[in-house]
Parts: sequence; C-alpha cells; structure tokens
Amino acid sequence: MILAAADPPFTAAWALPYNTLVVAAGVASVGFAAGVVGSFAVLRRRALAGDAAAHATLLGVGLAFLAGGGRRDLPLLLAGALAAAIAALGCLVLIGRWTRTRDDAATAIVLGVSFGAGITLLSGITARGVAGSAGLEQFILGHTAGLTATDARMLGGLSLLAVCLVIMFLKESTLVAFDPSFAAASGWPVTLIDYGLVVLVALMVVVGLPAAGAVLVTALVVIPPVTARQWTDRVGIMLPLAGLFGLVSALAGVAVSSVVPRMPTGPLVVIAASTLLTTSLLVAPRRGGLARWLSARRTVAAWAEGRLLEIALRLEGAGPFTREQILARAPGAAAASAFRRLVRGAALEPVVVRGGGHAWRLAARGRELAAERTRRLAVWTEVLEAAREDARGQLTIDVPSPESILGAARLKSIRESAAAARGGPGPT
Amino acid sequence: MSTTSAGLEFHDVTVAYGRRPVLWNVDLTVPGSCLFGIIGPNGAGKSTLLKAALGLVPLAGGEVRILGAPLDQVRGRVGYVPQRESVDWDFPVSVTDVVLMGTYARLGWLRRPGRVERSLAAECLDRVGLADVADRQIGRLSGGQQQRVFLARALAQQADVYFLDEPMAGVDARSQERIFRVLADLRAEGKLVVIVHHDLRSAAEWFDAVALIDMRLVATGPVAEVLTPENLRRTYAGRLDVLDEIGRAVAEGGRTP
Amino acid sequence: MIDSDGGQIWMHVWAIATAATVAAACALVGSFLVVRRLSLLGDAISHAVLPGIVLAVLAGGRPGGAGVFLGAVVAALVTVWLTNLLGTHAGLAEDAGAGVAFTTLFAIGVVLVSALASRVDIDPGCVLYGILELVPFDTVPIGGIEVPRALVAATIVLVGLVVGAVVFWKELVFAAFDPAAARAAGLPVGLLAAGLLVATSLATVAGFEAVGAILVVAMLAVPAAAAELVVRRFHLVIVVAVILGIVGSVVGYLAAWRLNTNAAGMIAVVLGIEYVVAALLAPGDGIVARIVSRESLRWRVACEDRLAALWRAEEGDAGALAPRTLVDSAAHVWLVCRGRVGSTAGGGLTQVGREEARVIVRSHRLWEAWLGRHVALPLDHLHPPAEWIEHHLGAEVRGRIAADLEEQGGDPHGREIPPEQTAPGTPPVLPR
Repeated sequence: MILAAADPPFTAAWALPYNTLVVAAGVASVGFAAGVVGSFAVLRRRALAGDAAAHATLLGVGLAFLAGGGRRDLPLLLAGALAAAIAALGCLVLIGRWTRTRDDAATAIVLGVSFGAGITLLSGITARGVAGSAGLEQFILGHTAGLTATDARMLGGLSLLAVCLVIMFLKESTLVAFDPSFAAASGWPVTLIDYGLVVLVALMVVVGLPAAGAVLVTALVVIPPVTARQWTDRVGIMLPLAGLFGLVSALAGVAVSSVVPRMPTGPLVVIAASTLLTTSLLVAPRRGGLARWLSARRTVAAWAEGRLLEIALRLEGAGPFTREQILARAPGAAAASAFRRLVRGAALEPVVVRGGGHAWRLAARGRELAAERTRRLAVWTEVLEAAREDARGQLTIDVPSPESILGAARLKSIRESAAAARGGPGPT
Repeated sequence: MSTTSAGLEFHDVTVAYGRRPVLWNVDLTVPGSCLFGIIGPNGAGKSTLLKAALGLVPLAGGEVRILGAPLDQVRGRVGYVPQRESVDWDFPVSVTDVVLMGTYARLGWLRRPGRVERSLAAECLDRVGLADVADRQIGRLSGGQQQRVFLARALAQQADVYFLDEPMAGVDARSQERIFRVLADLRAEGKLVVIVHHDLRSAAEWFDAVALIDMRLVATGPVAEVLTPENLRRTYAGRLDVLDEIGRAVAEGGRTP
Repeated sequence: MIDSDGGQIWMHVWAIATAATVAAACALVGSFLVVRRLSLLGDAISHAVLPGIVLAVLAGGRPGGAGVFLGAVVAALVTVWLTNLLGTHAGLAEDAGAGVAFTTLFAIGVVLVSALASRVDIDPGCVLYGILELVPFDTVPIGGIEVPRALVAATIVLVGLVVGAVVFWKELVFAAFDPAAARAAGLPVGLLAAGLLVATSLATVAGFEAVGAILVVAMLAVPAAAAELVVRRFHLVIVVAVILGIVGSVVGYLAAWRLNTNAAGMIAVVLGIEYVVAALLAPGDGIVARIVSRESLRWRVACEDRLAALWRAEEGDAGALAPRTLVDSAAHVWLVCRGRVGSTAGGGLTQVGREEARVIVRSHRLWEAWLGRHVALPLDHLHPPAEWIEHHLGAEVRGRIAADLEEQGGDPHGREIPPEQTAPGTPPVLPR
C-alpha cells in the first residue's frame, strides 16, 4: 500500500512499500531477539562459543543448498546452518573432553577449519557454475536486499519463539548463569539448561545470518547486551534494553545498506551496535565514563572545600586570616578553586583590615557547613564502630551525608544497635 | 535428637579427579542434629567431600546417604552454601533476587516466585541481618554481607540438612559471629549443619563434632576426642607420600616404583 | 601468460611456495600463542588488521609493502588497547572485550574496502579467503627471476621471526611458562608480550594475501594445537607445527587444484584433518592410545585377579577356583599359554605363576593392613579398595608400607601376608 504520490515531500520520504515494512519488521525482531538471547550468553561468558558456531554455518548453508538441488530456499538453508552450528558446538565439547587442547585453541580450531570447509564448499559450488549459487556469498557478510516478505516473516517468527523461550525459562536461565553449582546441588539439570541456552544462541546466530552474515553475526548477539549492562544493574531491565539496542542496530544497518547497495549489511550493523556501545560507555549514568569523571571531580571539590573549612575554623581563633595564610595550610591545586567557591557561596566573608589589606573569616553559612561536616564525621564514626562493613567503601574523602548513602532506615537501625551496645552490659 | 536417624552417611566413598584419587575410602556417619565440622589442611579434599555428598563430583566408589536416603530422593530437604569464589559478583541481580533463588527448586519449572516466596525471602534476610540492603546489587556488598546473602538463600530452601563450604573464609570477625549464631539456631531447631572449615581454634569453640580429613578420614567424633595432638600431628604434619604415589600410578594405569 | 605446461607448473610452484612459507611463519608464531592460551589474540589480530591495511594502502602504500605491515601493527596495538579499555571501564571479560574490539575494527575495514573499492586495490572477497591463485602474477625481479612479491614478503617475515625466536629463545620460553617469575627475575615481560603482538601482526599480514584474514586463524592455531598433542617439549612443538603447516598447505593447495575449489579453504580443511589424526593417534595421549591403555589395564587386572584367585584356592579357599566370568576363563587360558598355570585339567599355579600370585596377594593384604591402620574404615570395607589397589603397588612402595606396618604379621582378617620373596636374592617376576 504505497501512500499517495500527491503527499508533501517529507511524508513521501516515509512512503515505504509494504514489502519493505515487513522486511524491516523481520530484521527488527531478529535484532531484538539477538539482544535478549545474547544477554545470557554474555552473562554466562559463552560469547566465543557462538562465534565458532557462526563461522560453521557457511558449511551448513552449502550442504543444504546441494541437498535441496540448488534451490535458494531460505528455510532449508537456515536449517542446514543450524545443523552445522550445533555440530560445531558439539565439536567444541568433544575437543574439550577428549583432548588436552585448551578452550581458546579449540574455539580457534573449530572456527577456522569449519569456515575453511564452508568456503571450500561454496567456492566449489560457484566454480562449477551451479545455478543459484551466486546468492550464497551473501551469507558470509550479510545482505538483506534479497529478503522477501515471506522470509522476513519466518525470521520474525523464529525470533519471537526464541524470546518466548527465554521469558518462559527466565528464572532457570538466570539461576544457572549466576551460580551453576548451587543450581546443580538444588537438583536442576544444569548441563541440560546450559546446552539449551547454547542451542538458542546457535538459533539466533542462524536467524541473524541474512542480516549480518556468518563472520559478524556474533557481534549482534554480544554487543547490545554489553551496551545494556552499562545502563542497568538488573537482569529484568537488561534483557529488554539489550533487545532494544539490538533492534536499533539491526534496523540502522539494514537502512544504510539499502541506500548503499554494494555494501554488505553485516559490517554496518556491527558499526551501529558499536556506536551505541561507545556512546553508552561515555554517557551512561553511574557506570559511564562521563558520569564517573564528573563524580570524581565533585568528590575532590567537596573534599577540598571541607578541608578549607576545617582550617578556617582553626585559624579563626587568631582573628581574620588572609588568603595566603589559609592556602599555605592546604597544598594542592584544588584548594584555590575551592577557596573561590567558598567565597562565592558566602561561606567566607571579607573583613576590612587596617592598612587596607584583604582578610577573611567564616560567615554564618560557613559555620553551618563546618558544623554539618563535624556532625557527619561523628555519625560515620558511630557507623564504623557498629557496622564497619556498611561504612567500608561508602565513606569517601568528601564525607558524604550518611543519610543519603546508607538510607534513613538503615542508619536509624545501626544507630539504635550502637546505642543499645553502649548502654548494654558491655562492648560486644 | 533421634539416635536412629543418621543425618549423613558416607560408605567407603572414594573420589577421583580424572583417574586420580583425591579422597580415599571415607567411611563416616554424622548424627541427625548437630553442628558438624569438616577440618583438615589445604587441598586435603574437604570441599571435595562436601561436593561428593551433593552429587557435584562423581564418586569413584562407595555411596552417600542423606537422612537415610540417596540424594535424589531428599534434594528438597538439603540446603547448600557454596564458596563465594564460584560466583560472578558483577551479575546484575539484587540481594532479594539471590535469596529468592533458594525457593526455585520448590517452585519447579516455569512457575514464578509469588507473594509467599517473597515474604519468605524477606524473613530470611531479616534473620541474617540484611533486611536493609534487600534491593542492593550484590556486587556492592562487603565480603561478610555476601556470605550472609548466600546463607539467607540456603535458609530460603527450608531444608533439614545444610552444607556450607568455607562460610567464614575472608569474613570479618563480627560477621563470623553473626553467621555462627544463625547456624547454632538451626541446630537448636533440630537441623543438621555440616561445615567445611579451615580454622582449628574456632572449630574447637563452635562445633559439636568434627571429622579430620587429609585425603582420607583420619578421625571423627566429638571435638574433644578428635582434636588431640596425636590426631592433629597425623593430619597436618606432612602428607602420606604413599597416597600421592599410588594416586599417580592409578591415574596412569601402571604400578608405583 | 600460461603458454606452456612448464609455465603453468611454475605458477603453481610459486603459489605453493608462498602458502608454505606463510604457513611456516604462522605455525611458528602460533606455537607461542597456543601455549600461552592466546589463540584468541591471533583471532582478534587477524580480523583487526584489516582497517590498518586498507588505510595504509589508501595512504599510498602498495599491498605487501612496508607501509602495510606498519598499518597492521598499529591496528593490532589499537585492538589490544581497546580490549583493555573495555575490560576496565565496561567490566568486560577479556574474550568478550576482544570480541567487541576486533569485530568492530573488522567491520570498519570491510566498509572501507567496499566503499573505496575503486581506489583501493583490495578485493572484498580476498579479505576473507585470500587470492592465492593470483599471487604468482604479481612479481618482483630478484636476481633475474620473477619472484612473487607475496613470497618475498612472507620469506622476509619468516626469516625475521626465526631469527627473533632463536636470539630471544631463553627469555621467550621463560616468559611463556611463568610470567610472574620471569618478571621477578627482571625480564622485560611487557616488551616480550608486545613483541609477540607485533610478530602476530606481521604473520597475519604476510598471510593476508595468501589465505585472507579468517583462515590465518586456522594457520595460527591448528598446526600448533596438533603439535601440542603429539610432542611434549616446546621446541619440538614448534618444529612439528611448522612441518604440519607446510605439509597442510602443500596438500591443501594440490587438493584444491584437483577439486577446482578455493585453495585457502582447502588448506584449512587439511589442517583440520591433521589435527584430528593427531588427536586420535598421538602416542600416550591420543584417543586411540588411551583406549588401548585402558583395555590393556583391564586385561592385566583380569589376569592378576585370576592368579590371586588360584593362590587363594591353594590356601584353602576352594570357592575361588572356578572361573566366574567369561573374562576370567579367557584370562585362565592366557595364563596357561604363558606358562603361569599348569596346562593339565585342574592344573594349578606353576612356579613362575606362584611367584607372581604371591606378589599380588601380598600387595592386597599389605594394603588392607595399611588401610586398617591409617584410615578409619570398618573391617568389611577393606577388601574392595584392596582389590583395586593391589594392581598398582610396586616393590619399593610395598617395602615402605611393610616398614610402616612393622610387620604386624597378618592382614586385618587374620591371614598371613606372604613375604616378598621365597629365596633370598631372587626378586619376583611381574607381568609388565
């Protein structure tokens, strides 16, 4: 249903044929599912096994192509890809169990040899000029231009299935990913669940083949979850967020690729996903680089101000002090700017001195701040005595407010138990 | 305390890693309600013995019975606190999420934790003194707090037999006291608590009975009887090389020199 | 160009020579990577060098020229830096971090190659699987002979790597096996690691034209992993890896020629077959060897059990005389053939057989006594472990156990422990 050509230009730009919309929806769901399933692969530290499976899919595609008599029938080719992916994972297990070869070398072996076999097969097919073989190359780096609406619907359906499975077995997957020995002791079939997860990753790898190609599809499975982890500390939010990032990456890659026809889709999807990751690493609250840098600066600033206030309190006894006097006792670059901030914030006020010089003393506001700092230190000392492990790591040099760090309820209970311990029969 | 029910029995248990035996012919019976310690030098196989009881490592010989039955029949009555190193503390789950994992086995496949499970989790957290950090991500806890989260998870399993693997390792003294008090309460309720422990002094203070392990069972019984200078010398003063050499020969399928 | 059979043969010879040289260089570097569990690094670098190569070619370097090698090294260093960055700031495990870094760089490289295909003389397909067949057509004259440029570059890299390995051999091996001790001993471990990085980049670029980015991974990892299964000393691992690499590239190329398919892929397949053969047939550790050793142990145990049974029958335990299983009977027949048991019906142990049986029963009862003394086991639990261990006790250990037991006389069941030998000076004979 193409929108009427009489529309104004800017809506005409969004006038997309139905086919394209379906393909876009299919690719979007693939990206979403890849992010969701990939989250567990990343949490379980199994990212690399997926890479070996992905490189093996080429061989499966070639064999399925031959078995199907040369038809380019996407479901058939993907079925072959899935079989090859699972076989590759099986080889990894066998190598681990029967030889001395270590994990990393085993992955490299399965990856390189299966990919080589795939290339050999595809090249042999192409060299013999088998009809329809030209399209097979697209599975290496991904090319969505040839996707039909039917194909897209199938991919979308498989993606939906994968996401449903993850949601259904969310608690089991989280348990096994987090603490496999506890899960095993509780009676869960850890190996079975693990294999299930790995097969699901293989499925996603296969489903992602048209979009990203064998070589780069694991990036679609690995990068969005890593991105999502920067934004949240909870599995329940990480999963849909990873799905969202995967969806955006896949769509962006496909969109750009459709504008530049000769470019394979895979690399574009990966670049989109990496851009999201880089941005998140910088910008994400708390974990992001920017946030941490700002927070570190704030801590240093607050610390410097606190020190100056302390020194000012001490110097006050001898009357107003000069800027040089106070800064002499507070070495460090932060002190000068802290002084300026205190003045601006009316914590220090100028005093006119005989002889026309400038001197300073603590203003009322400054006394308040100093008193607050002393109070905080006293409360922290109580906390240290009563519940050291709560203070450890939380009491930073800028002496933050205990109420905001620990929470009012927790602080109250700590202080109560500290008071009980003091008023009781003796130190515990 | 019922004298007829043995909480935990090892019958001639041998465990091998690969083909190499690491625990030789352990024969041990633990009564049904007691604070029982498994003690020995590093690398003596204490954790291995625990894991053998839980079916986490295969037995090369012998059998284990818990509450008089094979493990598979009584899994619902067994609680486990593994070593802290086995877990990735950066995992994005909160304290409550972890404690709820103790209820999963009872829920079975597909069912989600509901109100009943959540209130149980809150209770267990309260019992170990962590009610205030219930929503914190687990990586932001101290060592003692992390250990107590594991303990709360085991409590949520509502078991009759509890296995703890080095629960006091890397934990400050105050937290250790706290943990021990929870375990003593469990014993008072009639449960069996089996603990792999590394420190002799506190073992003498806390446990009712112990087993001294050094690749084989050296001695077992009430603390005062077992922790004698003679027994300690046999366990700690030098390994029996014979066992090492035979172990190697068995692994290679040949004879010793 | 191909105007005679002789000329055509030369093309293939050059191509094979290039592939073999590249394989040797990669096997050499790969040995270090595999042994230090850095195979992932090889994977990462072989992908990540692509943008470096493309940018170097864009900036005017020729493919295979020095500029390209430099660009590759820079790209490799960038990858490592990114991996570390992701590790510290994103909390990523090393493998995930490297995966993110190198796939991104590789993607950038592919995009560059596709976008600038007209200006950059690199075929996107070549990136993945090389153009070994075309290598002989790009030549430089050396001493009057037209030698493929890729072969020259690969040879230079190989010679450089060999010289580097020989000169720094002690330090490299020490740092490979115990980095902490090496650092404590004052070795520049960081420098050596950087050197390995550079070497991997050079080998990757050298292999780039021959087999492309991804199959370099196979050349780096597979020969070394196969060699590791077959030999146990590191210098031998390198030698065997290089041999396997060269053989694999020659056979692979010839097979690809025969089957009319891609040479690089075929080489990877042949290398894989070499690995499987090594895994199966490695002496001592190989799968076949392990099966053989397990079965021969089982047979030895069966024969020794039979001898012990006959001894017990002589002691008075008549129930032990009859063979209980098929294996028992087979063992009995074998013992008769070997002269350990009399061939007459109801025949008992011969002199030789009795000596051997004595040793088995002695081992059994010594172990029961030792268990009874050192391990808190009840009486009825002693027999099964002794049944197992009796086959694994040698003379020296028996002596130590006996000394430890101070010859308390009998085994815990009250039976006599047979002495080590009847006549002094004649040590007992044992089946090997």
